[in-house]
Amino acid sequence: MSSSKSLSTNRNPGAHNIFAIAGVVIKEMYRRKDFYVLFALVILITLLLGSLNFFDDDRIVRYLKDACLLLIWLFSLIIAMTTTARQIPAERESRTIFPLLAKPVGRGEFVVGKFLGCWLACGISLLAFYFFFGVLCASREHTFSLLVYFQAMWLHWMCLGIVVALVLFGSVVFAAPSSNTTICFIVVLGIWFAGGHLHTVALQMPGLRGAIVSFIYYAIPHLEWYDVREFIVHDWGLIDWPAWVGASIYAILYTGAFLGCTWLVFRRRTLTV
Amino acid sequence: MIRLTMVFLFVCCLTLATVIDPSFQRMHRMESSPGNVFVALMGDSRSLFAHEFFAKADAYFHSGFYPTIFDTQQAGKELDLKEESRDKPAGSESHEEETSFLGAPKDWIDRFGRHFYPTVHTHLSGGNEREMLPWLKLSAELDPHEIATYLTASYWLRTSLNKPKEAEQFLREGLRSNPDSYAILLELGRVYLDNWKNPWVARNICILAREKWRRQEAAGDKPDPHSYEEILGEIVQADRALGDAKGLLSDLEELIKVAHSKEPLQIEIDDLKRKQGEAKP
Repeated sequence: MSSSKSLSTNRNPGAHNIFAIAGVVIKEMYRRKDFYVLFALVILITLLLGSLNFFDDDRIVRYLKDACLLLIWLFSLIIAMTTTARQIPAERESRTIFPLLAKPVGRGEFVVGKFLGCWLACGISLLAFYFFFGVLCASREHTFSLLVYFQAMWLHWMCLGIVVALVLFGSVVFAAPSSNTTICFIVVLGIWFAGGHLHTVALQMPGLRGAIVSFIYYAIPHLEWYDVREFIVHDWGLIDWPAWVGASIYAILYTGAFLGCTWLVFRRRTLTV
Repeated sequence: MIRLTMVFLFVCCLTLATVIDPSFQRMHRMESSPGNVFVALMGDSRSLFAHEFFAKADAYFHSGFYPTIFDTQQAGKELDLKEESRDKPAGSESHEEETSFLGAPKDWIDRFGRHFYPTVHTHLSGGNEREMLPWLKLSAELDPHEIATYLTASYWLRTSLNKPKEAEQFLREGLRSNPDSYAILLELGRVYLDNWKNPWVARNICILAREKWRRQEAAGDKPDPHSYEEILGEIVQADRALGDAKGLLSDLEELIKVAHSKEPLQIEIDDLKRKQGEAKP
């Protein structure tokens, strides 16, 4: 067993390094209290809302699904951003980045490892969130639409992939994790709520201003696609599979682009604080 | 000196407490009802939120197919939810021909993005209308003077959801906040006439609604003339259910003055007069 492991390590040391760094990030997530607190909050708030009585009708469920999914989205964004934003600055501050990079770990592997760790950590937290959501729906509606939840969770995870890559890029551009988190949070919320409507706004703007807004519209990653809460809340059924695959590819491309930018900036960055 | 200052401060605190305490007690009493908690926390902004929650109920009515602030909406057009809850089936016919607020896709991003949100105009049915109720309840809690909220919730409760008891309870809540509302009284009359099958009480409530309407008109408030026609219509319905020919005749004569379609009413009046003439020796 150990010989086969060492063989695979020897064959692909880059992948081994990436997974080792990712593993540390995941361990860090379950050692910290952030996720547990947010998960408990989701459960508490949802159960509190579920205990409300509206006109003596216990079959009302959509408001509860809506609230629960909104909390899941907000809290998963918080987990993704705060976990990612502190990765590189923390390594630099504690100077653990030097022994890491002194070993045969390239800067590209370091960036990809950090990304993978944060993204997988988000995936694990999403699994817990959506499992609770599924149990909630099953208990109130007596149905469990596994494929619908899978599609929604996958798209959510893909969206978090873009967000994690964006925040990782921000962590090599901005000085402090707090400023990075704040700026990225504003950008992500801005895209989430208004990103899809920028073209409509641009059409009403004259000249250069309109052109600039149109450019932003085409350049930004359209995170709003991945928010399929309306589909789940109002029981619209499955999303078209080709569209689902298309959105996944789009997310992979943007994630790759942000990771590439991060590597380009990070490879020439002086690491002394 | 320090001791004297401390005693002086203590006396000051004690005196201040006796002055402030009654005001705090009054405030606590005022804040004991949920409505007043919202007033204290949100002030006048609560009517803004109430409107948002009503719009949320409308969005639920359309199963999420709903325009955002960026989408073009017809100016002066009422929310579907208000329109539908007025016992006017004509509204539903026009929906079939209604074009989508989305229009044609503007670009490939818009076209592709439409796979991820509802793009079909539908209305809740088959008891699913219950899903709107939490938002309507919340809207009424935030702005108890928005009468449309009570009317809409009551309409769905008493019709599709078959919950006249809850409808009546909600309308009475609305009546406590809006004692001069003829519209709430009219809706309450409908609950008694259509659901409780109690035309006697329904007639009395509608007569009270008529009085309120007339009082507002006399005061120059310009109440809705269509509501007046509806109130008189309900009174006539109650008369019919009671079998009160004399009352029916006088109420029909009142209704025909404001009714849009006068012909069937005139026929009924003539018929009643003929019957009354035959009945006299």
